Amino acid sequence: MSKFAVILKREYIQVVKKKSFLIGVFLTPALMAAFMLIPAWLAQKKATSSEKMVVVDCSGTGMGERFVKELEVYKLENSDIPYYEIKQVFVIEPEDTVRFRALDDSLKYEINEKNLKYSVVIKPQPHLSDDSVYVVTNSDNFTSLTRFESRLSNLISSVKLEQTNINLPVDSVLKLTRRIDLKTQNTKGEAIPFQVKYFGGLIFVMLMFGMIVTYGSLVMRSVIEEKNSRIMEVLVSSVSPFQLMLGKIIGLGAATFTQVAIWVLIGAILFAMSGSAGLVISSDISRLVFNPVIVVFFVLFMIMGYLMYSTIFALIGSIVNNEKEAQSFIFPITMSLILPVMVGIHIVQEPYSTLSLALSFIPFFAPTTMMLRIIFLAPAATQYSFFSGILGESILSFIILTIMTVVIVWLTARIFRVGILMYGKRPTFPEIVKWIKY
Amino acid sequence: MYLKLENVRKEYDGKVAVDNLSLDIPKGIIFGIIGPNGAGKTTTIRMIMNIIAPDAGRVIFDGREIDDSFKNHVGYLPEERGLYKKLTLSEVMVYMAELKGTPPAVTRPLLDHWLSKMDLLDYKFRKVEDLSKGMQQKLQFITTILHDPEIIILDELFSGLDPINMELIKNVLLDLKRAGKTILFSTHVMEQAEKLCDNICMISRGKKVIDGSLSSVKAQFGKNTVQINIEGDGAFIKDLPGVKQMTEFNNYIELYLAPGADPSEILKTVVGRVKVNRFEVVEPSLYKIFIDMAKADPTESQRDQGGDHV
Repeated sequence: MSKFAVILKREYIQVVKKKSFLIGVFLTPALMAAFMLIPAWLAQKKATSSEKMVVVDCSGTGMGERFVKELEVYKLENSDIPYYEIKQVFVIEPEDTVRFRALDDSLKYEINEKNLKYSVVIKPQPHLSDDSVYVVTNSDNFTSLTRFESRLSNLISSVKLEQTNINLPVDSVLKLTRRIDLKTQNTKGEAIPFQVKYFGGLIFVMLMFGMIVTYGSLVMRSVIEEKNSRIMEVLVSSVSPFQLMLGKIIGLGAATFTQVAIWVLIGAILFAMSGSAGLVISSDISRLVFNPVIVVFFVLFMIMGYLMYSTIFALIGSIVNNEKEAQSFIFPITMSLILPVMVGIHIVQEPYSTLSLALSFIPFFAPTTMMLRIIFLAPAATQYSFFSGILGESILSFIILTIMTVVIVWLTARIFRVGILMYGKRPTFPEIVKWIKY
Repeated sequence: MYLKLENVRKEYDGKVAVDNLSLDIPKGIIFGIIGPNGAGKTTTIRMIMNIIAPDAGRVIFDGREIDDSFKNHVGYLPEERGLYKKLTLSEVMVYMAELKGTPPAVTRPLLDHWLSKMDLLDYKFRKVEDLSKGMQQKLQFITTILHDPEIIILDELFSGLDPINMELIKNVLLDLKRAGKTILFSTHVMEQAEKLCDNICMISRGKKVIDGSLSSVKAQFGKNTVQINIEGDGAFIKDLPGVKQMTEFNNYIELYLAPGADPSEILKTVVGRVKVNRFEVVEPSLYKIFIDMAKADPTESQRDQGGDHV
């Protein structure tokens, strides 16, 4: 086994066998899963008896009755009992606001008293305004609310269709419009809701940031420890400083990727399980996660970003005497990684502004900036070109990052071999420049 | 020559640490590099170890200029030493040998032999941090020689060792020499070099002052040194004719005679004044030679003190 591999293996095993690593790897996703899945699971679990509801129909077009009919398809599990027990459908003339208010008040009272779970209100001309259909409830039952939403949307679409003078069966037209919906999702950026992309992007970026800072600073700490324990000179009498530095960086990098890989695996298992358990995981999220451009560039930017930053961390470790001295250097690193997150809302809203483009091509900001931009632009792109658009920019940004990483690795290797044997006074900047020439 | 330095030079920020140094180290001997702190010993050794590159000159091992593959043939104990505190003794030993290209399967059967030789066998699966300072030194020494190196380089080996451990390690070194290994060590304590070395090289301010076999170096200075033990005040002795210089040690006095002076004349005078318990004509000590040589170097008076640079 080459010496580089010996060091790599040791650094890897040293981290991976620690308890803190296991805790980080398994506890974090467990907590996240608990946050996301338990409420959904609880919501579904409750449905052992029918939910009581009323419908208040002010549409004047009989939408209430039609809605109730649609709800009949839902049954309690393993039985023929309807899932929704419709207490009454109140049909109110669109102009009769007095009666509506009185009814609304008393229904709200019933809901407060838990005699009723939902009051679905259809106001006049529901097809014209988003606010004119709503549910009064104190329940967060995601499943029911989603059902109401989709059923009511279909109804409104039907009503709209009927009001145009097209003589086609409503059913087949609905199918057609659904197909058209799918197509718009593929061609328009708005297909994945802004919030999903923004928070999805933040999760990707925070994952990248967290991994780079955590494991990068481990590289630094490992160097400082070996300097402090005076083992460094023994080590460099066996291996070259470059082998030592790279062995550390890549060994700890392998630990990083082990952690991410385990998370991805856990995520995939949960995803599969949630599918079979009938839990609804937004297709928007899966479209983000399974977009090849996003996945490939997340991996690429993560690897190169880690290499660049952990090399900088190794550099810091080699020139300081203890972790206290290192603190002042770490701050700017953290800042340069987190800056794109702070201006993240700007980047995602104006992905082609001067600031967004500039951050994309400055290597220190590129990994996190590009991740945000890719998440926003890649799913919306109709075709990919290697030389333009988001794919072209990603490739260019990645090439610039790679060149910068190579330069930093070279510089660090020069400084590292001198710095690791320097004890005592922290070197000044001109001294460090001199080391490069030694 | 087995290991050879050819006109090696190293400069830091305009200060010359090692100046045009050439050394010939034959196989199978104990070679001492001697000099005061800041003389360039550590820099020289680091250049031999290929830890730092010389500005000029070459280091040659077995006829070839050294590269990183040379590192596997050397056991190196630096002046600044340390081990992984959180690992067990056995883990440290296996890992350090692995870094020298010796696989764990080869190292493991050797562990018990060396640990028992150094009285550390009971600690084999304990952590390094559980060891006393002296024990850690012994462990460090084992890791230096565990991979069976051809050359063993020891920088200020004995600093911080108690006499018992010093004796233990000295005996191992002599065994290694008998087994044909070459041992190179640096020290600023002349007595140690005098006890152990076959060949020496004295350096001062990065320059070679004198080198050769211990006996030839001493022969160059002739038998002009006298050691005497007396009872009473010996202050008058230094003014006697033929006495060039006198150094008082705790238990004896060392006299350096002027060329041509007769030791027996001095003995006669001294016996007449105080009681003499011992009078012996000896070879000059390395310490004395070093002081003389350093004085002969005109630049020596302006020597700047300071720790080893890099």
